[in-house]
Amino acid sequence: MSRTDTTRPVAVPAGDAPRSADTETAPRRSRWAVSGESRILLLVLPVVVALVFGAWAWWRATADLDSIEARQLAWGLILDLIWQHVKLTLVATFFVLLVAIPLGIALTRPRFKRAAPLAVGIANAGQAAPAIGLIVLLAMLLGFTFGTAVLALTLYAVLPVLRNTITGLQGIDPTLVEAGRGIGMSGAGVLFRVELPLAVPVIMTGVRTALVLLVGTATLATFVNAGGLGTLIVTGITLFRYPVLVSGALLVALLALLVDWAGRVLERVARPKGI
Amino acid sequence: MWEFIDERKAQIAFSAYQHVSLVLQAVLVATVIAVVLAVVVTRFRPLEPVANAVSAMGLTIPSFALLGLLVPLVGIGVASAFVAVTFYATLPILRNAVVGLQGVDARLVESAHGMGMNTLATLTRVRLPLAWPVILAGIRVSTQMSMGIAAIAAYVLGPGLGQLIYTGLAQIGGANALNSALVGTLGVVILALAIDALLLLLGRLTISKGIRA
Repeated sequence: MSRTDTTRPVAVPAGDAPRSADTETAPRRSRWAVSGESRILLLVLPVVVALVFGAWAWWRATADLDSIEARQLAWGLILDLIWQHVKLTLVATFFVLLVAIPLGIALTRPRFKRAAPLAVGIANAGQAAPAIGLIVLLAMLLGFTFGTAVLALTLYAVLPVLRNTITGLQGIDPTLVEAGRGIGMSGAGVLFRVELPLAVPVIMTGVRTALVLLVGTATLATFVNAGGLGTLIVTGITLFRYPVLVSGALLVALLALLVDWAGRVLERVARPKGI
Repeated sequence: MWEFIDERKAQIAFSAYQHVSLVLQAVLVATVIAVVLAVVVTRFRPLEPVANAVSAMGLTIPSFALLGLLVPLVGIGVASAFVAVTFYATLPILRNAVVGLQGVDARLVESAHGMGMNTLATLTRVRLPLAWPVILAGIRVSTQMSMGIAAIAAYVLGPGLGQLIYTGLAQIGGANALNSALVGTLGVVILALAIDALLLLLGRLTISKGIRA
């Protein structure tokens, strides 16, 4: 499955971290039996993140900073920015799930089935909009607030979850659905007890893609006064202070890698036992 | 908005040209790098999971963060933008090129050898043409992504339509702020869709007849 999906061109998130192989499914072995690539990502990634963060923290504690740099890199401020960044990501993820999963379910029901290619097409084309343009335009229309940033991020990350929900539900063996109906389950029963559990691995891959996309795009939230770690990068460039700039960039990158890793772990934990 | 465009026709056209130029050059370089790496990776199989993991990790790093890391190294300006766009453009192509080259039936490679082709000829006349549709799909993904990253890269004075977006942001409250950001954003969308259509056409023209769907 992963092979054919990789060949399918998808219009992608113009801003950040897209996946050409969004809908890859892991091999059907035990939950923790993983392929080479996943093993590297699951085991090596947290070590790399921890090492780099440790090195940065050591540098921060010992470096000789001037007063501007020291103020921008105060621990309290940095923790605030990290928290803002995480909050933006999590709130936007919540809304993405709230919109994309029900929509994906609706678009695989017989009544709306025919609209599915159209909806995905529109979402794909919309993804060609640059993240920075979307967030700036929305802020001009709705104000420079946390809410605007969340709205822009949500719009931006709906696509991967929507697409994977549809792909996951469509990929289910129809005989299983029929068997469910045959043993007397209602339509909703089949959906919640057969279709959704079977589609969980594919949906979760989409959720992880969305999470990574959101962490990355949230760096741009600073342009609409919504904070986040992008603030350090912008301050670093504006004040021409490389230590601030690099600290910001490094922390965002580490956060993104960590979120990706958490997503991968979540993917394995959420997978129902039978598959 | 039309008035805004009319007054700045030349400037907008120049930004659009620079945007496309940056993206196409970066994608071109990225394609060469990615295909060469993919050939190496498919030759030494144990490298494959490493390449895929690096590709996945690379795509995870936010583009704004990479720009931040590049500025101290290559300075503010076009160079940072070019390096960042090329970096991100390489990863999806690399992934697809590896998959594409591996998807080539080993028997075909063997028959090519049997016909007397050497390794290089097998690569250029059998393996790459057969992998090309998959590689091209990667190029399309990369190009779309690069259009957006190039827009972000305007913050470190990269060329292109992103400058209009940041100008709008800087002049917030001014008469033309919204127009500027709108033109920049829509310009990127239109160009991205147009280039995607051209790449689709390129596929029609360059995918070997025998494997055309």
